[in-house]
Amino acid sequence: MTATTAIVSVDSLSVAYRSGGRDVSVVHEVSLDVRPGRTLALVGESGSGKSTVAATLLGHLRHGSRVTAGTVRVDGADVFALPARELRRLRGGTVAMVGQNAGQALTPSMRIGRQIAEVGGDIPVVDLLEQVRLPRPAELARRYPHELSGGQQQRVAIAMAVAARPKVLVLDEPTTGLDVVTQRGVLDLIGALRDELGLAAVLVSHDLGVVAHMADEVTVLRSGRIVEAAPTGRLFAAPQDPYTRRLLASVPRLDDAGLALVGEAGEREVRPRAVVSDASPVAVSARDLTVDYGSSRAVTRAVDGVSFEVRRGEVLALVGESGSGKSTLAWALAGLRAPSGGAMTHESGDLAGPARKRPLSLRRRVQLVFQNADTSLNPRRSVGDAVRRPLRFFGTAGSRAEAAARARQLISDVRLDPAFVDRLPAQLSGGQRQRIGIARALAGEPDVLIADEITTALDVSVQADVLRLLDDLRRERELACLFISHDLAVVRGIADRVVVLRNGVVVEEGPTDAVFADPGHPYTRQLMVAALEPDPDTRPLVADAPEWTDAAEPDDVWTELGDGHRVRRWSPLAREGVA
Amino acid sequence: MTTLETPAPAPAAPLAKPSTAARAWRTLRSSRAATIGLAIVAVHVLIALLAPVLTSYDPIANNADQALLGPSWEHLAGTDQYGRDVLTRVLYGGRYALGVSVTATLLTVALGTVAGCAAALRGGWFDDVLGRVLDAVLSVPPVLVLLVVVTALGTGPSVIVLAIAVVYVPQVVRVVRGAALAIVPADYVTAARARGEGTWAILRREVLPNITDVVCVEFAMRASWVVLLISSLSFLGFGADPPTPDWGLMVAENRTAITVVPMASLAPIIALATLVIGLNLAADALSKAWGVDRVREGR
Repeated sequence: MTATTAIVSVDSLSVAYRSGGRDVSVVHEVSLDVRPGRTLALVGESGSGKSTVAATLLGHLRHGSRVTAGTVRVDGADVFALPARELRRLRGGTVAMVGQNAGQALTPSMRIGRQIAEVGGDIPVVDLLEQVRLPRPAELARRYPHELSGGQQQRVAIAMAVAARPKVLVLDEPTTGLDVVTQRGVLDLIGALRDELGLAAVLVSHDLGVVAHMADEVTVLRSGRIVEAAPTGRLFAAPQDPYTRRLLASVPRLDDAGLALVGEAGEREVRPRAVVSDASPVAVSARDLTVDYGSSRAVTRAVDGVSFEVRRGEVLALVGESGSGKSTLAWALAGLRAPSGGAMTHESGDLAGPARKRPLSLRRRVQLVFQNADTSLNPRRSVGDAVRRPLRFFGTAGSRAEAAARARQLISDVRLDPAFVDRLPAQLSGGQRQRIGIARALAGEPDVLIADEITTALDVSVQADVLRLLDDLRRERELACLFISHDLAVVRGIADRVVVLRNGVVVEEGPTDAVFADPGHPYTRQLMVAALEPDPDTRPLVADAPEWTDAAEPDDVWTELGDGHRVRRWSPLAREGVA
Repeated sequence: MTTLETPAPAPAAPLAKPSTAARAWRTLRSSRAATIGLAIVAVHVLIALLAPVLTSYDPIANNADQALLGPSWEHLAGTDQYGRDVLTRVLYGGRYALGVSVTATLLTVALGTVAGCAAALRGGWFDDVLGRVLDAVLSVPPVLVLLVVVTALGTGPSVIVLAIAVVYVPQVVRVVRGAALAIVPADYVTAARARGEGTWAILRREVLPNITDVVCVEFAMRASWVVLLISSLSFLGFGADPPTPDWGLMVAENRTAITVVPMASLAPIIALATLVIGLNLAADALSKAWGVDRVREGR
């Protein structure tokens, strides 16, 4: 124990909460030390207790929880023995926290400047905003939180955290929910501030790419216990524990040539991509599709002239940051949002009308799977009910008994125990719920499956399972799959072809391997550079992207690179032109 | 980290999670206010049902010999100016109050729930128009509306029930619409829409089950308001017709004789007060019970 040098020292900490008259252990004998200027990452899947441990540094416990053993010392003080007044001084003064959702951490009705000033500290607000690399700080200080983007809000939250010049920074999933490019910027800022101010940082993250990029040391938690603790380089190069190995192996990589299958001991096997024959029919296609939001006075074009087609058995990935229009496209295809122009066709009919106007036989053949498994199932209805409903509604099962039998079959088709039928969604894990969501979509016997960020909210190991399921299903059922994601590594594994969207416009499309081997558009490059690999020594796959401007002319939009790989025309932007 | 080769984990023995109803019942029992509130309401309902068994007097037959008597063993709460047993009239009086109130509340909450859900689900112009119409109704004082309706259409129970529905539906719509708005963006509602299900099916299958708690609390709360409103009407002479035994009416009839037989006015007031307090306690505890549940379940 290097208590003399460590500024944060957690010693065999155990935390439990009471439920139904007995203690449920959340954290069990966790010990860690952080020295000034170093970053320790707490890694684990949901429910591993990583956030609980991080919060104890501020003397915070979730309601009903208590420390059953061990101590937490920050800057020499035993946090849980401090009187209230000194604990308040510790929070913000010595330890500051940056949470996941900065938008919720800022008071919506207070100007940014006043909010930061409220924290205290002697540094002028404008200097702080400058320090977190926000443009035009004086003007920004007069704005309200909703006028900032997610990345800017997170920067403001960081400015507030460092306002009182703390010694320890606790970062709880600081970039989860941000786009890759924004995430990269925020992480770089945190790294720079840490070095500038000599902060000790505790980073909580489920994203091993972020951890590899940021941390000096890593502690892997599972069910509240430490599985492995090691310096970052060693942990990623030679993980000792099988759990750590499996966890690392489950993370999709940008250089995987197919879907990675992970074994019990963490061995990785890359499954070759399914071959989609040119003869297989086009299941669904869109031509010059445009979708507008807003009233006739102020139109926002979410999707602007997008064309694509998906063959049976093929996975087409739509990639882009939030706001790129990829989800809007999915909704239009599912008949939930009316397009303002262009055409969508299914092999058996026109998809122009809204879902209710489409014939039942067509409607059931285009099905949606949702991002958030928590809200995709009705909490008051059993899992079986969720699957039986579309069976009965679409008439794919004639009688009640048949629907019940088919529902059990579908649930086992998504690799779950059919006995799950009587369970409520709350009794299932996130991954299991997502599988039920897929089973519900399959109930209509679709030939087009729209998967809208279906693995975004899942832990990496669960994500690997769900991706594999999806890959199996499209092989077995010849499904045309529209896979929407912002995660390039995931896309690399599962998709046959990629369409990169930016502000509703396709900037690049082509076979996955071709696009990843030689990204033609700077925006694609930018996305690839920003993607973080779970390997601290990784070299970026491509060189940095140049500043660019759109140079597509109406009669000359594309640069063809062969084999269907084409790039929207662009031209480099002169440096002095950058405002 | 199960790989797909391994058979899916068998569901463990059914988790020890009781149903929502059982859980709500447990939380209700653990709260003293709720137990008392529900017990008071239950006693009122029982009395109203069993009134003919509990007393041998006729609640409406006049008996001039027995007029204006103080409390005695024969007439525990005395008699009124027509010689009717006050206690008997109070016991029977619950029938009118409870019957009309429950019917009116049921109708109000049912209409309000359907309209509120539909507004949340349909949105757009339907929501806007409904909102403005309801605002207009809300801006008129309830008692005034009732008086106008009753004057125009007579004082029958069905008229009163309808009038109360008109007066209170807007408030229920507002509350339910707010609750439903939280459910409507959920993906399971979107999934139902993508299936092309009708508004009614989505409402019944996806939205209603998730706002039952709000609707129940709304029912309990509105019931206490309605009881008071109906009694006020009777007191003003626009509710129950004499000689119907009704609390509001009894207070109105006997207040002139309050110095002679105070119990004739006090007894119906006590009955009314306890019922309203009981309903309020129940509504309060009910909302707390479900609210607390939510925190515990981490929803």
